Amino acid sequence: MNCNKIILNNSINKIVIILGIVLLIKVLTLNSLISQETPQSKDQCYNCHLQLDGKFKAPADMFKVDVHFHKGIFCSACHGGDASSDDMDKSMSKEKGFIGIPKGSQILKICSKCHSNEYNTLLSSAHGESSTGKGIIISSCIVCHGIHNIVPVKSPSSKVNGANIVNTCGSCHSNAAYMKSYDPGLAIDQLDKYKTSIHGQRIFKGDSKVANCASCHGNHDIKHVKDPKSRVYPTNIPQTCNKCHGDANYMKEYNIPTDQYEKYKTSVHGIALLEKGDNSAPSCNRCHGDHGASPPDVNSVTKVCGVCHALNAQMFSDSPHKDAFEQKNLGECTVCHSNHGIVHPTDDMLGTGKRSVCIKCHTQPQDRGYQTASVMESMIDSLNRDVDIAGNAIQNAEQKGMDVSDAKFSYNDIKKVLITTRNIVHYSDLNKFKESINEGFKITNKAKITGEEAVKDYYFRRYGLGVSTILITILILALYFKLRKTEKKQ
Amino acid sequence: MKKRSILKNTYEWLNGRFQLDSLISFMKKKDVPLYRGTIWYFFGGITLLLFVIQVVTGILLLLYYKASAELAFESVQFISAKVKFGWLIRSIHSWSANLMILSAFIHMFSVFFTKAYRRPRELTWYSGFILLALGMAFGFTGYLLPWNELSLFATKVGTDIAKTFPLVGTFVMTFLRGGENVTGATLSRFFGFHVAVLPGIFIIFLSMHLIFIQRQGMAVPENWDEIPEGTKKHIPFFPNFLMRDLLIWLIIINVLAILAVFFPWELGKKADELAPAPAGIKPEWYFLFMFQTLKYIPAKILSIDGDVIGIMLFTLAGLFWFLVPFWDRKKPEGVKRFWLTYFGVFVIIFIVVMSIIANWWGG
Amino acid sequence: MAESILFPEKQSRRDFLNYILGIGFAGLAGAVLYPIFDYLEPPKAPEVDVKNLDLGKDDDIPKNSSKMFKVGNTPGILIKTESGELKAYNATCTHLECTVQYKNDEKLIWCACHNGRYDLNGKNISGPPPAPLTPYKVIVQAGEIFIST
Repeated sequence: MNCNKIILNNSINKIVIILGIVLLIKVLTLNSLISQETPQSKDQCYNCHLQLDGKFKAPADMFKVDVHFHKGIFCSACHGGDASSDDMDKSMSKEKGFIGIPKGSQILKICSKCHSNEYNTLLSSAHGESSTGKGIIISSCIVCHGIHNIVPVKSPSSKVNGANIVNTCGSCHSNAAYMKSYDPGLAIDQLDKYKTSIHGQRIFKGDSKVANCASCHGNHDIKHVKDPKSRVYPTNIPQTCNKCHGDANYMKEYNIPTDQYEKYKTSVHGIALLEKGDNSAPSCNRCHGDHGASPPDVNSVTKVCGVCHALNAQMFSDSPHKDAFEQKNLGECTVCHSNHGIVHPTDDMLGTGKRSVCIKCHTQPQDRGYQTASVMESMIDSLNRDVDIAGNAIQNAEQKGMDVSDAKFSYNDIKKVLITTRNIVHYSDLNKFKESINEGFKITNKAKITGEEAVKDYYFRRYGLGVSTILITILILALYFKLRKTEKKQ
Repeated sequence: MKKRSILKNTYEWLNGRFQLDSLISFMKKKDVPLYRGTIWYFFGGITLLLFVIQVVTGILLLLYYKASAELAFESVQFISAKVKFGWLIRSIHSWSANLMILSAFIHMFSVFFTKAYRRPRELTWYSGFILLALGMAFGFTGYLLPWNELSLFATKVGTDIAKTFPLVGTFVMTFLRGGENVTGATLSRFFGFHVAVLPGIFIIFLSMHLIFIQRQGMAVPENWDEIPEGTKKHIPFFPNFLMRDLLIWLIIINVLAILAVFFPWELGKKADELAPAPAGIKPEWYFLFMFQTLKYIPAKILSIDGDVIGIMLFTLAGLFWFLVPFWDRKKPEGVKRFWLTYFGVFVIIFIVVMSIIANWWGG
Repeated sequence: MAESILFPEKQSRRDFLNYILGIGFAGLAGAVLYPIFDYLEPPKAPEVDVKNLDLGKDDDIPKNSSKMFKVGNTPGILIKTESGELKAYNATCTHLECTVQYKNDEKLIWCACHNGRYDLNGKNISGPPPAPLTPYKVIVQAGEIFIST
């Protein structure tokens, strides 16, 4: 009988315990509710604005994702005012430093309070100066980074990340009306071109490794193309491209060569641009495009090279090689001259010798191309020899003090013939070649003959002098003896 | 009568008209003293030979030379390069000019030291001095004619000095230059002087000079009278001395040919009137001593321009030299006038030293 | 008397020395006169005419064509434009001194060496030439064309 009473007591105990646990839980959660007095919740600006409507609520709403929000930097850090008071007059009072909505360079000054490095860099960049003079900043931080919703650069939703940055830059730089108020001469087709490029196509497919605007132009330190410090100044472009394209590891998955810069450095174009500072020499962007960067089509190589080398392009286009290369899908000029490592052509590129480019295809001696190359080679070798011989003949005469100005005058034309003939090779037409080179032989013959005649004259003078001297000496001796004889007689 | 040679017939024909016989017999008497100093007697003939060569080569050059600023240089180049033997004619003309002046100087000094200017040969000396001055004028005017860089500036410097003459200086300079500066007008003028005016005047004085010499015979040295009669030697002018003359002339001709072949006269760069003077510009060698002396005279002496002083000094010195037959007449017995000889030696040394300095250490 | 000085009696034996002398002097005379006579013969090369060149008649040159000439040792080019105007330039290309030519299809001056182009005022308009061509003055007098440098 006593056992049953105890069990009833145990049931009540269970209820008490359960109630106790529930109370405990409630107390605990109540604590957390109380400790949900976060820093954010302490910020009265944020709190107040969150409860407003429309455009007054938007900043606070957006601010939830902002990196400053997460790091504990709130409204008053930028706008000033008193964040502890919920009385509008107190919290938004000028005495407490409230500045309202900052405008123009005010914005930059605010950001620069913490981000001073970026600010200083921006000041000396193309966006920091304007055509109207220093002090008027073209682009303030919020234009690119956004406002109230600034996320870290690495975050995919950042306005300055990967594919987004392209559109961010494009939002001003593709806007004709907008750009006109700053620099009417600046192109606005960069984004359009970029979308046709390999980089553009891949970036919109999600490849974040390819180049975007900032990869080549920089971010805060963007300089005008004409500024030698700019990363896209003609002499700096090869290095800029090479940053990615020369890195074998980085480029591993793309299966394209990474030796372009090394080759280019040793090329005629590279030496002209990088060592001689000749800005008219092409760097990567001249052949590949800059914003629309992609290698030229196999069949448009001639046209691209032909932008500068017009004559040779036209000659090649008229030659049988044009169609033949197209059929075999060969890259026209680059077949013989290479693409990046273009060196100054030499006479041994022509013909059938070891260094010749002709025998790369024309391997058989019965082949017409082989024979043509062989004839051209021997003719040009022969002309080179004649040029030397004629030059020596003229120099020989000149050293002896004879006048060779006439010979030198006609010999000067040899330069033109050599250049013309070497270029006429691009026609691959033996008759045209012979026509051109025969002019050269005419010149060298004439020069050689004139030079040799001058030397002959030199020796003739000495010979004549010798004969005259002998004659006069005999005469002198005869006279002397005659004198002796006469005086003896007297 | 035996068949007479053509030569004899010609002689007789002329003799009948010009009494050549008396002329020949007079000239036969001319003889030359034979002693240590006889060698100096050749220099007059050498100068004459060189003058004749100048006339002949000058006439030949005239056939191709063009005397305008645009064409002069090219025409000389044409002669040297294209005309057959043009190089020879041109080089001989230039070398012979210099040798002629050198020979004239030697001739003058030899006459000075042997005192052959004394009575009765004063006029021979005066005409000879004038011939030397004319010769140097020939050299000065001829030097400009190739119209090359050196000659343009040498002429500029030379005519600048003319300006320093007091009172008449500017007029003389403008007259010489045909204007304010040395231009194509100067070239025309110098050409006219060189081929017409100077030859005309020269021929007159040369004829006088030669006639005087022929009329008076060769001068004998100072101490000729003291030499005993037996040991004194003479050689007849015709044919002995003349043959010796001929011998030397043949040697000179050969020397000229050798010089023309081995040391051809340079042409240099065409004159550019607008270009600045190249460094180290100097006149021809026979003016160097005057040029250098002027450089040593301080810029101003007692408020008179140094250049004017220099020119006046040279003019006075020249005048003194010119008038030496007047100063130095035959002295009374026993009195030796050494100072004049020393003066002459001093002049030679002065000229030589100044020329060397000017040429190799150019002021 | 004088005769005997100038014309000594003929020797019965030819004097060898006199013989040599005679030959010698004759030879010398020849050696002197031969260059002189050769000199007198004008050379085939054209006479020097550098400042004012005569290039022939105005009517002889068709429109839109050119003629090369030589000024001293420099090449020159004379062009008659489509409208009949005459222009002349120093034909030395200002790039690397090749000789330029007139292209009558493009109506401009062209250098074959490196494809340099000049307009009909001599101004360098395309390619490597760094400077315009030096112009010459063209004077037409009584139908004759003269070039003045």
